[in-house]
Amino acid sequence: MPTNGAIVQIRNLSKIYAQGEIQVTALDNVSLDIGACEFLTLMGPSGSGKSTLLHIIAGIDRPTSGECRVQNIDVTRLNESRLADWRNQNVGFVFQTFNLIPVLTAFENVELPLLLTQLSRKERRQQVETALDLVGLADRARHLPRQLSGGQEQRVAIARALVTDPTLVVADEPTGNLDSHSAQEVLGVLKSLSSDAGKTVIMVTHDPKAAAFGTRTIHLEKGELIKD
Amino acid sequence: MSIGSFILKNALRNRRRALLSILSVSVSLFLLVSLLVTLRELTLPPEDMGAALRVAVRSKLSIANLLPARQLNRIQSIPGVSAVTPFTWFGGKYKNEENMTFAQFAMDAKKLRAVFGEAKMSEPEYKAFESTRDACIIGRVTADKYQFKRGDRLSLESSIYPVTLDFTIAGIYEGTVDDRNMLFHQEYLDEASGNPGWVGMWWLRVASPDDMPRVITAINTAFANTSAEVRAESERAFQLGFLSMLGNVRVLIGSISAVVVFTLVLVSASTMSMAIRERFRELAILKALGFRRRELFVFILAESVGLCLAGLVVGAGGAWLLFTHGYGAGLALLSGAGVALGVALWNLFQKRFSQAAMNLPVSGLLASLGIWACRHPNISKMTNGFFITFEVTPKILGLAALVATGLGIVASIAPAIAAARMSVVSGLKTLD
Repeated sequence: MPTNGAIVQIRNLSKIYAQGEIQVTALDNVSLDIGACEFLTLMGPSGSGKSTLLHIIAGIDRPTSGECRVQNIDVTRLNESRLADWRNQNVGFVFQTFNLIPVLTAFENVELPLLLTQLSRKERRQQVETALDLVGLADRARHLPRQLSGGQEQRVAIARALVTDPTLVVADEPTGNLDSHSAQEVLGVLKSLSSDAGKTVIMVTHDPKAAAFGTRTIHLEKGELIKD
Repeated sequence: MSIGSFILKNALRNRRRALLSILSVSVSLFLLVSLLVTLRELTLPPEDMGAALRVAVRSKLSIANLLPARQLNRIQSIPGVSAVTPFTWFGGKYKNEENMTFAQFAMDAKKLRAVFGEAKMSEPEYKAFESTRDACIIGRVTADKYQFKRGDRLSLESSIYPVTLDFTIAGIYEGTVDDRNMLFHQEYLDEASGNPGWVGMWWLRVASPDDMPRVITAINTAFANTSAEVRAESERAFQLGFLSMLGNVRVLIGSISAVVVFTLVLVSASTMSMAIRERFRELAILKALGFRRRELFVFILAESVGLCLAGLVVGAGGAWLLFTHGYGAGLALLSGAGVALGVALWNLFQKRFSQAAMNLPVSGLLASLGIWACRHPNISKMTNGFFITFEVTPKILGLAALVATGLGIVASIAPAIAAARMSVVSGLKTLD
């Protein structure tokens, strides 16, 4: 477990959901460090807490207790508004179901996070073109999501995750809806993000073959970190 | 892409629903504007240019009580009064018509120009009216309706006096705000009825608007404690008092308008709730990407207000076009029908039968409305002169705009709160 130069520092993190009168422990006292440029994969059975851990690191969920510092900022203590700004500037999301906006073209979907920045239209266009080029979809910029294959949609989603030049890229089962060929392409892009572009990539997956693309794999079970 | 184009794309993502939403708002606003125009027409009749200088004098007991003709000299002698004429309701029925379809008043023909100067007629017509005992003049609206022309003769049986009078039409007047009435000589009525010495009421003109309050007080005082006390009031006050006899029309129309607005709120709120609920997942993605609650609220608000304002343009704008430029409205509707027909034919050609089946009735409806509007371009004529101007005033348009904006805001509140409360994680779990 890297401790020096860790970009993400998680200490005693717990998350308990209340389902009626029953309390479900999703994360139980998890501590973890993730280094810069790491491609970390999180594995475990359904309900093990891996997605919950990813969501807390990405600042879209809050823990019941514990600390999650990203670049020395405890994201669990930011208010809604500052957390939204932080996500925009520091986190890129890749989801299992791509989650592109269907009425926007590939270009516009990638441009979406940049609408919150002070960049000019020209600067936005340059960044979007660079991001689409990086995932090999410059020629599909004007296509709507329904006109793209699953693999292409996911690569557009990766371009959207990259376009703000974030520190972290989080991917929640990004190959779950893809055929093996497309999955390989997507995993290759994610791997190059950490190895070539210097991003810290955290990926949740069920698939050991996908996990093999990572530089480190950790396993969770019943909310506990069981193997690193 | 700008934020504006993003909002527009979202608003138009389901074009059929957006169109139906806009249409439902526009039909309701059209109805609301029509009701408000009707209410205005009934309660605030338009004024002549000379209204600020005219005073109506009637019996203090009721408008149906006659006044003694001898009051004329006393009124004329009051300083500030420049002209006075009797004005007596005749209540005549034309031919075999069951009800009276236009009003007739007996007056002093020589005072017509002095008191009601807005009535435009040629000089020979004025001369003929003043010099012929049985002459009458008729407003353009009524003349057109009955195809009257100068020199025609007509006979009217009074429902008040036991007489039937024959008249010669000396002229057709126009230019007043109410070109429907018939005017004739008070002397002719007096002679025929054998009852000289009584008039229905007095209309007089004051020299300047500054004289108005003093003249009104002077007239009321002059006949106080006499056998024929009077109530003198400005033309505006007289009209409002006269119209109060319409009873609770204002309340009725106001109630219907309130129901229209309330229904509109329900329709819009439900449409917006549906539109936003089915995009919960996308809103969660936007939140994950860094959009804050207030930005999502602006998106939802802008979409909701935008749809309502589009409905305003079609509904209130359509009402304005229809009521003030009937032919224009008809042509616009016919053009719309042509476009809908073209789309229907294209869909047929593309073998999209269900879409064609929707476009054809829309085309038929628009064409019917267009033909109707072209055939009835003038509300005054269509209502046989019951409504005169039927004007969509800037104030009414402003009120409609206020309703549309308010509607957009109210309709966006519930979905905006739901979107704000939604956590990113729960939103991402929403099914498409």
